[in-house]
Amino acid sequence: MNPPRVSRLRVSADRSKCVVSCMCVYRAPTVFDQDEDGLVVVLESNPPIELADDIRGAAEGCPVGAISLREDVDAQDEVVQTG
Amino acid sequence: MTLTTPVNYPFPWTPPMAIPEAWETLRERSILPIALPSGDPALLVTRYKDVKALYSDHRLSRNTGRYPTSRISADNVIFNDPEVDNDPPRYLAERSLVTRAFTARRIEELRPFVWEVAEELMTAMEAAPRPVDLMEAFAFPLPIRVICKLLGVPAADQAKFRHLVDGFLSVTKLPADEVDRCRTGLWNYLGDLVVLKRENPTEDLTSALVKISDDDPERLSDHQLQHWLQTLLIAGYVTTATQIGCSLAYLLHRREVATEIQNDFSLVPAAVEELLRYQIMGASLGSLRYCIEDIELDDGTVVPKGATVLLSAEANLDEEQFECPMKMDIRRKPNNHISFGSGIHYCAGAPLARMELQVSTEGLLRRFPELRLAIPGDQLRREVGSFLDGFAEIPVDW
Repeated sequence: MNPPRVSRLRVSADRSKCVVSCMCVYRAPTVFDQDEDGLVVVLESNPPIELADDIRGAAEGCPVGAISLREDVDAQDEVVQTG
Repeated sequence: MTLTTPVNYPFPWTPPMAIPEAWETLRERSILPIALPSGDPALLVTRYKDVKALYSDHRLSRNTGRYPTSRISADNVIFNDPEVDNDPPRYLAERSLVTRAFTARRIEELRPFVWEVAEELMTAMEAAPRPVDLMEAFAFPLPIRVICKLLGVPAADQAKFRHLVDGFLSVTKLPADEVDRCRTGLWNYLGDLVVLKRENPTEDLTSALVKISDDDPERLSDHQLQHWLQTLLIAGYVTTATQIGCSLAYLLHRREVATEIQNDFSLVPAAVEELLRYQIMGASLGSLRYCIEDIELDDGTVVPKGATVLLSAEANLDEEQFECPMKMDIRRKPNNHISFGSGIHYCAGAPLARMELQVSTEGLLRRFPELRLAIPGDQLRREVGSFLDGFAEIPVDW
């Protein structure tokens, strides 16, 4: 059986938790940005699947766990969640 | 190590370039009873998973001056000022006033200035008699110039504040009365700075914070304002200078790694992170916290209410988290080290420190292709009796 294929990424960030470590911007600069105060802004909530590793890195690097990544899996009702 | 006898902490660096042996076996138990340099007892939480969780646990208070917290030093309260509120919600509200200066964009805007300072310092190194002490010629002046620019302080003031800051960070180095003189001197120096910026505001972080405090003292009291300036100044250069020294000393000690970077400078950011993970400075003293409620760790062990807790920076070597943790791997990925802490107190200046470390590492290895230690790495001398245990001097030649 083939491993389940990720069909869609869903990224969100909890701005109320953000402490401006900048880690998400460093690790996935096309997906995350910061506003004037440095608080996280999600640029793309359904980014290309190739970016999954970078986003996972951003979620794991966030010191306050403000970033979540949901990986919807093809053909099954399975969801992998990081952060 | 037995359960009943506390181990003296921090573990000594002998020899100076080798990871202390105790770091390897530390995580056999989730909690290690330790004796701080003052002799007071504390508990060291050793495993990465627990350390990470506890950094985000509100049952550990950072208001160590307001609880009967064990002392790091018998002669210096260091960061345990009972007047300072370092817990949420106040801490978070005030922190956000500061972190706006440390966004990725603003730090990138500062990078050309940091390069300029680096080039200037390296030009001076070229003209100086050799060997050159990398700490005094580069590692200290670079972050001092940068934090002075950010805070709007004349860099020449370092003649005033460096000794005072050394005293502020003394654990066993200076006697109590000298520590007191330094602490008072530093507090007064910052008080004068506030007055100066109130009368002549300029485009800098100090002026911005003074204005916020003047407009609304409820938002930032005089005392908290000065406390933040003190933290920014100290953390702004001592830690970065120490890490520049530790990182470069290690790279030059393991010269083949420096050469690898010289062959591909795109390795610099990852190498900087790995050196942060591996060349831990100041051990875990900066993580001192007071436990206000029992906390159960991952393996069921309980950190009891009333304990003074340190969250182990040595967890950067936890094999559960890092593959082959004792190996220095400048390509390591992922590298979620905890050298800047974690949770809401994550080092506010981390983006600046990272950038300064990147410029320093690349700058020195580019300008001096033959850069080397002028004495064997094992003969380098570490600072003794201070909050940070970086190198006292690093003689280099090329």
